[in-house]
Amino acid sequence: MLSLKIAARFLKSSPGQSALIIAGIAVGIATQIFVGSLITSLQADLIDAAVGSSPHITLLPGDGASTVPGTAATTASKSELLVATAIPVRTLSAIYTSGEDSVPLSIAGGDATDLGLIYNLEDRMVSGTYRLGAGEALVGTVFAAKYDVGPGDPLELLLPDGTMAEFTVSGVFDLGQATANERVAFVDAASAADALGLADDEYTAIQIQLTDVFASTEVADRLGSDNDVTATDWQEENAELLSGLAAQSGSSIMIQVFVLVAVALGIASTLAISAVQKTRQIGILKAIGMGDGAAGRIFLWQAALLGAGGTLGGIALGYALIWGFSFAPVPFSIRPEPTFIAISAGIGITVALLSSIIPARSTSRLDPIEVIQNG
Amino acid sequence: MADLLVVDAIEKVYGEGSAATRALSGVSFTVAEGEFASIVGQSGSGKSTLLNLIGLLDTPTSGRVTLTGENTTALGRAGRARLRNEALGFVFQFHYLLPEFSVWENLTMPVQIARRTVSGEERDRALETLALLGLEGLERKNANQLSGGQKQRVAIGRALMNRPKLILADEPTGNLDTANTEAVYELFRTINAELGTTFLIVTHDRVVAQQTDRILEVRDGELVQDVRNDYAG
Ligand SMILES: Nc1ncnc2c1ncn2[C@@H]1O[C@H](COP(=O)(O)OP(=O)(O)OP(=O)(O)O)[C@@H](O)[C@H]1O
Ligand SMILES: [Mg+2]
Repeated sequence: MLSLKIAARFLKSSPGQSALIIAGIAVGIATQIFVGSLITSLQADLIDAAVGSSPHITLLPGDGASTVPGTAATTASKSELLVATAIPVRTLSAIYTSGEDSVPLSIAGGDATDLGLIYNLEDRMVSGTYRLGAGEALVGTVFAAKYDVGPGDPLELLLPDGTMAEFTVSGVFDLGQATANERVAFVDAASAADALGLADDEYTAIQIQLTDVFASTEVADRLGSDNDVTATDWQEENAELLSGLAAQSGSSIMIQVFVLVAVALGIASTLAISAVQKTRQIGILKAIGMGDGAAGRIFLWQAALLGAGGTLGGIALGYALIWGFSFAPVPFSIRPEPTFIAISAGIGITVALLSSIIPARSTSRLDPIEVIQNG
Repeated sequence: MADLLVVDAIEKVYGEGSAATRALSGVSFTVAEGEFASIVGQSGSGKSTLLNLIGLLDTPTSGRVTLTGENTTALGRAGRARLRNEALGFVFQFHYLLPEFSVWENLTMPVQIARRTVSGEERDRALETLALLGLEGLERKNANQLSGGQKQRVAIGRALMNRPKLILADEPTGNLDTANTEAVYELFRTINAELGTTFLIVTHDRVVAQQTDRILEVRDGELVQDVRNDYAG
């Protein structure tokens, strides 16, 4: 690989120029990795906060019906590969009164294990036990603090039919959203059935989580069409969040494209300068028999070496930035995305190689006589 | 002896239209293997043009150059590059060494271009060449760190590395003092005698030309004299 050897020697012969361009590529790639990982992590956090611990699709009774059968959950899991969890629940509204105040609560009744799958409750308990025995309830942190209730305390609720029911608080959870922590409560399945007057196999909704949150519309369409149920998905209800995320992704891609263009221009101009500086050497090499292809490859190799060096430096710098960011006083952390970094590295090297095309071509076209005649 | 080089009615016109310069008009001659010849003529007569055409650095406007039996006019760029590497050696007025490389690397560059690696035999040859040129011990030095005479000797060594049939020299001592000049021509003579390498040397120095076996004179782009010089050596 004589071309590679000559390329390396040319780069070594102007160390300042080489170091500058490698630093330039490194900063570009690092920016790309940092901004890309920042946006990806930020969005993952936002989506997780929005729907990580809530249903992605809810199946409600179809036209004319007032309940859904429990078997609809099993059917959904079996028919759709993307369904991770499907549980039958009984939802109702109740009113909690404390002295002067009365507050409406949105109550989901179901099996403790089932509810845990959707709401991730086990990890979200802040006090008490994660348990829903007969007559037990779980309440949120904001509610618990506001009305001064905790594990073991009684919880009296006014049910939709006008009767009162008494529960015992078994634990307090934190769902990560203030509204949910104030207005949501969970009770056991049987108590909810009693409150609503439902039979064993009658439910008010099927709550579903998917392995891919963005497939919800498509899956909801299918589930809603071939069952006696109507399906709603989270994307319908979070259109604003989604358009915000899309705008954010768009601007992140713009930033990355501009960074890459800047990197490409940097490499291209450095190589063009180098090609001019080394015209004489190329002419000499051609005079003593180097072929056009081998001569052109010298600049391809220079680009590859600069691209590889800059990309490696950029990855290191990118990780350093992400690590440095972990000390910043913000409530989320950036996770370096290996696939994203691999793509950045690939793009970096490709851009370097592409930007060497012009100098490589002009070099391969050079006639040795142009150098020999002009001294 | 077989003709190493046949120059057949070559013409060279630089530029086009009213700016056209006719540098050579219909030059023909042959050179046999082992000859030691010079090309003389006034400045601007077309000597360098002729040498560059023979050296396949440039292409004639018409006519043909046949080298080691190959019609070079029919060759593409790659074929001409290969012949430059294998069959020809160049020594110019300026040394044209590669400043980024050491003396050893400059010397072995033609071998590396041809075969990528330097064999044991070629290594020995390079060492012999350094000894012949009085450059022992300088192989690790950078090409930039040599004196003018030393650089020119490295350039001569480089021209010899692939054991070419023909060495083309254009004012090879133009930048050297008298002592170095004599040393270079002595070296050429030695190489010619020991290796049988053919030499074609461009010079405007009559004294130098007198020491070669054959003198070709170019005037206004035409070959006006071609004489055997029996007083040489
Ligand atoms: N690239 C070129 N473009 C136009 N004209 C050229 C070019 N090269 C040479 N010439 C012209 O061709 C003629 C021959 O030039 P050449 O260099 O062969 O002369 P020379 O005999 O080597 O002279 P010198 O002894 O000064 O080196 C001159 O008239 C020169 O001006
Ligand atoms: Mg000349």
